[in-house]
Amino acid sequence: MLKELYNYRELLKTNVKKEIRGKYKGSFLGILWSFISPLLMTLVYAIVFPFILKSTEPHYVTFIIIGVLPWTWFTNMMANGTTIILSNAGVIKKVYFPREILPISVVTSGMINFLISCLIIGIFLICSGIGFSPYILLLPVVVIIQFLFSLGIVFITSAIDIYIRDLEYIIAFLVNILFYATPILYSPEMFAGTPIATLIKLNPMGTIINSYRDIFFYKQMPDIISLVVLIGGCLGFCIIGYFLFKKLSKGFAEEV
Amino acid sequence: MPKNAIVVKDVTKNFKLYYDKPSTLKERLVFWNKKKADVHTVLKEVSLDIKKGETVALIGINGSGKSTLLKLMTKIIYPTEGKITTNGKLTSLLELGAGFHPDFTGRENIYFNAAIFGLTKQEIDKRLEDIIEFSELGEFIDSPVRTYSSGMYMRLAFSVAINVDAEILLIDEILAVGDAHFQEKCFSKLEELKNSNKTIVIVSHSLQSVKKLCTRFVWIHEGKIKMDGNEKVIDEYMKVCG
Ligand SMILES: Nc1ncnc2c1ncn2[C@@H]1O[C@H](COP(=O)(O)OP(=O)(O)OP(=O)(O)O)[C@@H](O)[C@H]1O
Ligand SMILES: [Mg+2]
Repeated sequence: MLKELYNYRELLKTNVKKEIRGKYKGSFLGILWSFISPLLMTLVYAIVFPFILKSTEPHYVTFIIIGVLPWTWFTNMMANGTTIILSNAGVIKKVYFPREILPISVVTSGMINFLISCLIIGIFLICSGIGFSPYILLLPVVVIIQFLFSLGIVFITSAIDIYIRDLEYIIAFLVNILFYATPILYSPEMFAGTPIATLIKLNPMGTIINSYRDIFFYKQMPDIISLVVLIGGCLGFCIIGYFLFKKLSKGFAEEV
Repeated sequence: MPKNAIVVKDVTKNFKLYYDKPSTLKERLVFWNKKKADVHTVLKEVSLDIKKGETVALIGINGSGKSTLLKLMTKIIYPTEGKITTNGKLTSLLELGAGFHPDFTGRENIYFNAAIFGLTKQEIDKRLEDIIEFSELGEFIDSPVRTYSSGMYMRLAFSVAINVDAEILLIDEILAVGDAHFQEKCFSKLEELKNSNKTIVIVSHSLQSVKKLCTRFVWIHEGKIKMDGNEKVIDEYMKVCG
């Protein structure tokens, strides 16, 4: 399987390039555009939430943006990834290529986008005077975890979306709920000792965002045990997703 | 070593015919247990071995299952029963221009299209000149593909596909592309590939052309192989269906 993917590496590359370029093509502000929406979101939250939560967090804007940007990557994956097979129906009906290229290239281009947006996090860290710590070297580990987790989901949802067409709306709804169950606007310490804290722990996106916060914001070691468990879990999940995708992909050309 | 390029073994292909295809979650749940589709058997226990270096024509009337068989060979669709194995790099020219992006230039689209066929950047670079030359598009190669005429579009797509250097080539009904000059060029290219020991399977209704090109003829009728052999198959087919 890996050999075939390797043979088709050029397709993967052109797909990723097309996706990133397609987004930014035609406007000088293009690159900015894809970051404006998370920035605006952050702005709104930063104005509204301190009132509601009576937050005592200093540097609240930086605190939020570190949660919002990975979350934006995640929601984009759920939206674009779920429909990726359907939106490539034309090519799928015309020619054979390993179908898993499509989910992999969406999630990869999402990752590259996120890595670019880490520059924004950097700017906020500098401007707020928080600065950087050596723990930032752990960034790739967290990014890989989020990559595997997203890819696992996209394998499953993009394949099922062919057979159940309204899946994308169901996913959008679930993602909206998950937003509140993920410590993006708040820190999980607020719920320490309550069942909610356990719930947050069970949500992989929760641990992922906490880890980004640890390495960027709190400048401390993320919870290593959680990370190791997550790597294993997400890798396993991704492999299961892959096999399900492979199985369902045989019917794609007939069903799309 | 004479080896089979394509082995089709007892292949049956059913298509489900839905009159009202359930596609939402609710419909899927509501119609869970109901008999939802008629089954339409398009190929019935077809077995066919194609040797390396053979040039085979699939003939038959409309709807007899030729395109379905080619799609099965390329793995766009999969058999309901039976098994198909292929040996060697395979390229299919079933529908041209897969992955073409209208806003990009012809040259850029060569890269997109060839990548779908599984070529790497270096391999495409190496073939780029050949592809452009074969297409005879001249300066238009750097214009967006949306400005092409349909014949020009086909020329470009065909040039990419034919230059992929596959060992097995599957072609469906596309020899009618382009003007007389380009058609002739395609045929001599196919002739050349045939002489360099590539395996070619071609579906066509232009019997005279395939008669010249191919060495073996398989007549498919109602999802079964009715005849398989040399030129006599064409004569017989003409008698019955011509
Ligand atoms: N996706 C599909 N769903 C249902 N039936 C299909 C599907 N594709 C093909 N068929 C049916 O399969 C039969 C064979 O189709 P196929 O395209 O293989 O014919 P063909 O031999 O290529 O004909 P032609 O000479 O017209 O190209 C037809 O009766 C067609 O209705
Ligand atoms: Mg056909």
